[in-house]
Amino acid sequence: MRLPLRTLALVSALGLAVAGCSGGEVRRPAASSAPAAPTAPFVYAFNLDVITNWDPATSSSNEIIALQNVYETLTKYNPETRKAEPRLAVSWTASPDGRGWTFKLREGAKFHTGKPVDAAAVKASIERTRKMAGYAAYIWDSVKAIQVVNPTTVRFSLSYPAPLDLIASAGYGAYVYDTTAAGRGDLKAWFAEGRDAGSGPYTVGTWEKGRETELTLKAFDDYWGGWKDPGHYRDVRFRVTPEETTAWQLLKRGEVGFMERVSPQLFAQAPADGVQTSETSSFQNLLVLFNTESTDVRVRRAVQKAIDYQGLVTAAKGSIVLGGGLVPEGLLGHVPGDPPAQDLAGAEALLREAGYGPGGRELTLRMTFAQGDSDQQLLTTLLGSALSKLNVKLEAAPLQWSAQWDQGKAKDPSKRQDIFVMYWFPDYADAYSWFNNVFRSAENVEFNLSYLKDPAVDAKIDTLPELTATDRAAAEKAYGELQATLIDERAAVAVPYVQRYRRAYLGGVQGYVDNPAYPNVVFFHDLRAGR
Amino acid sequence: MTAALHRLARTDRLAFAGLVILVLIMLATLLAPWIAPYPADDPRPVDALLPPGAEHWFGTDQVGRDVLTRILYGARTSLFIAVSTLALSAAVGVTLGVVAGYAGGWIRDVIMRVTDVFLAFPALLLSLALAVVLRPSVTTVIIAISATWWPWYARVTAAAATSVSARAYVDSARCLGVPAPLIVFRHVLPNALTPVLVQLSLDAGGIILTAAALSYLGLGAQEPTAEWGLMVEQGQALFTTDWWVVTFPGLAILITAFAFNTLGEGLRSILDPRRTVR
Repeated sequence: MRLPLRTLALVSALGLAVAGCSGGEVRRPAASSAPAAPTAPFVYAFNLDVITNWDPATSSSNEIIALQNVYETLTKYNPETRKAEPRLAVSWTASPDGRGWTFKLREGAKFHTGKPVDAAAVKASIERTRKMAGYAAYIWDSVKAIQVVNPTTVRFSLSYPAPLDLIASAGYGAYVYDTTAAGRGDLKAWFAEGRDAGSGPYTVGTWEKGRETELTLKAFDDYWGGWKDPGHYRDVRFRVTPEETTAWQLLKRGEVGFMERVSPQLFAQAPADGVQTSETSSFQNLLVLFNTESTDVRVRRAVQKAIDYQGLVTAAKGSIVLGGGLVPEGLLGHVPGDPPAQDLAGAEALLREAGYGPGGRELTLRMTFAQGDSDQQLLTTLLGSALSKLNVKLEAAPLQWSAQWDQGKAKDPSKRQDIFVMYWFPDYADAYSWFNNVFRSAENVEFNLSYLKDPAVDAKIDTLPELTATDRAAAEKAYGELQATLIDERAAVAVPYVQRYRRAYLGGVQGYVDNPAYPNVVFFHDLRAGR
Repeated sequence: MTAALHRLARTDRLAFAGLVILVLIMLATLLAPWIAPYPADDPRPVDALLPPGAEHWFGTDQVGRDVLTRILYGARTSLFIAVSTLALSAAVGVTLGVVAGYAGGWIRDVIMRVTDVFLAFPALLLSLALAVVLRPSVTTVIIAISATWWPWYARVTAAAATSVSARAYVDSARCLGVPAPLIVFRHVLPNALTPVLVQLSLDAGGIILTAAALSYLGLGAQEPTAEWGLMVEQGQALFTTDWWVVTFPGLAILITAFAFNTLGEGLRSILDPRRTVR
């Protein structure tokens, strides 16, 4: 008797649902009752896998939310002043020609391995990062040599002028770590087992991939910043919670402390639920990357035109702002111009030209996007609807990041998607990474998920760092030309929107400041539990 | 037929209510293009998430589509899936069942062991596995559910066909030299169909629920197709703030499955005096 049982289950579920929506009993938020005990762990609810790569030299993804608390960089970007401020380095000077930089290191800083953070360690870690040639190693391209002046002084010689204080604050690729942590063993393999060799306030507690509580961090007692204030959170947990509503319920119950993405509806509801919120502009934009190998350029242009840019912004109710160019406003390379707009007639004409469209062959496009991201879901719904009117079927699969990325990087091109949707943000306050990492030709696909291979584009990208340092007008022009090539000519990408960071966190928590230079990172040591 | 309806209305009011509800749903399905207040897929982001009101009785969804309209068109998808799945499963199951029941011997043994293998897996799990392998679509849902549903019809039909095959009029036909296929289609099948018809009516609601579950998990209907399970999935994140997006399609699933179930139970009372429970 399968059916009655199923029906009964559905009746029960719906009954519970109706009870919930009609104001059924909901536990009050922790913030409005007892304040969280300082010794309780701080729980970060994240909708995707936390760790994809443990190696600080090559880390390039979600793990930034943990690693920025485990590792430190020489400097840290301050979004208020738009300048670098001390972190492991307490002061620095640049030569008049911008080709020589000297950093004075903090005394007393130690790695979790017990060794001191000194100039030799800084040199060794940056040199290893460059040698590993991972995603963000490019940030050190201007560095010609690193010299250990004394244990607390390190000097960089550059081949061309570059803002090394900003570069040293990068979210990826700038970590200082103990390269001797594995002894004679393979350091890469040592990291891969979930170990760390940083100097940050927290060290790795446990890591269980695939578990709901994927990662725990614990306080590093010898941290130079100290733990004197009893309000510090000494334990941190990362809880993978794909569904936003689940995370919200957990937040209201005090079972999680922080949500990095909040829908407009929940954001508006936060004050009534005793939840704190924060909203800041960001450099994080959504890239809709078209597979340039599997799709016709006319089809790609048609999809660009089918996106309802303005509708998306309207439906998202303030959580995003209109995109357009690859470089968001506020960075060198941003191209002000007409905002992108939907043009279904133009899309239809392009599809017809390619043999598709109404009355033509039916076209199916496979798209992957982030599970649990309500703004990306809106894009999917609107785009699917627009394309269906043009005889194009959009098969959109919401995936966890690891699954989405693995499919994008598949060796067999037939297994790759036609459209890959992901967010991008710069490693430091500079636009170069959008071009170097996402559109530079690559044999082994990392983030070049449009699979573009264009030597002319590569050559132009290579000129950007030096132009940025030496001739800003020329750099601006080069950035503009590259965007015209990538978006208009090659149609490798569409940029529907730039995110506004909307966070929600426990009512009693103090000291949270969103730093868009380190997207989604909570610097847990700065937080204090409510009293 | 009319007598059966009268009997149903007299003896089982719940089943009759189920029938009336289903007739209304089917009418709504057929007339959706004329009675729906808005086009099925007409996003209007400026009207996103409007609560139920005079212009939108069931409110609007995240991209400003009318929820009532989507539910009416969603009924088409759900009933299409139910009818197609039942037809496909019954075609396979009844054919194999009647062959097994009439032929007996090793043929019956082989067919029944195959059905046992399929029945050994939980139906939803097997449907899920198939749906994951295939590309998500309405067709995938039909194939995935049919693959788990046909063994039930094979079993029911085989049992009935075995019983009918032993009757004297079938023996007479054999003795007269009537070819086996003719005996099966003329004599065995018509007399073995009653329990299958009852089972079909009972299963329709279950199929709608399973199809909704597959679409809810992203393995079934895809945007912009209006489908109740998909609507529930997309609206669940809004449950605490914009309840109407998820509640109305949820109710549609509930009411339809309930109507099919009560009707099926009523038909069983009328058509199957033994009240066989499988």
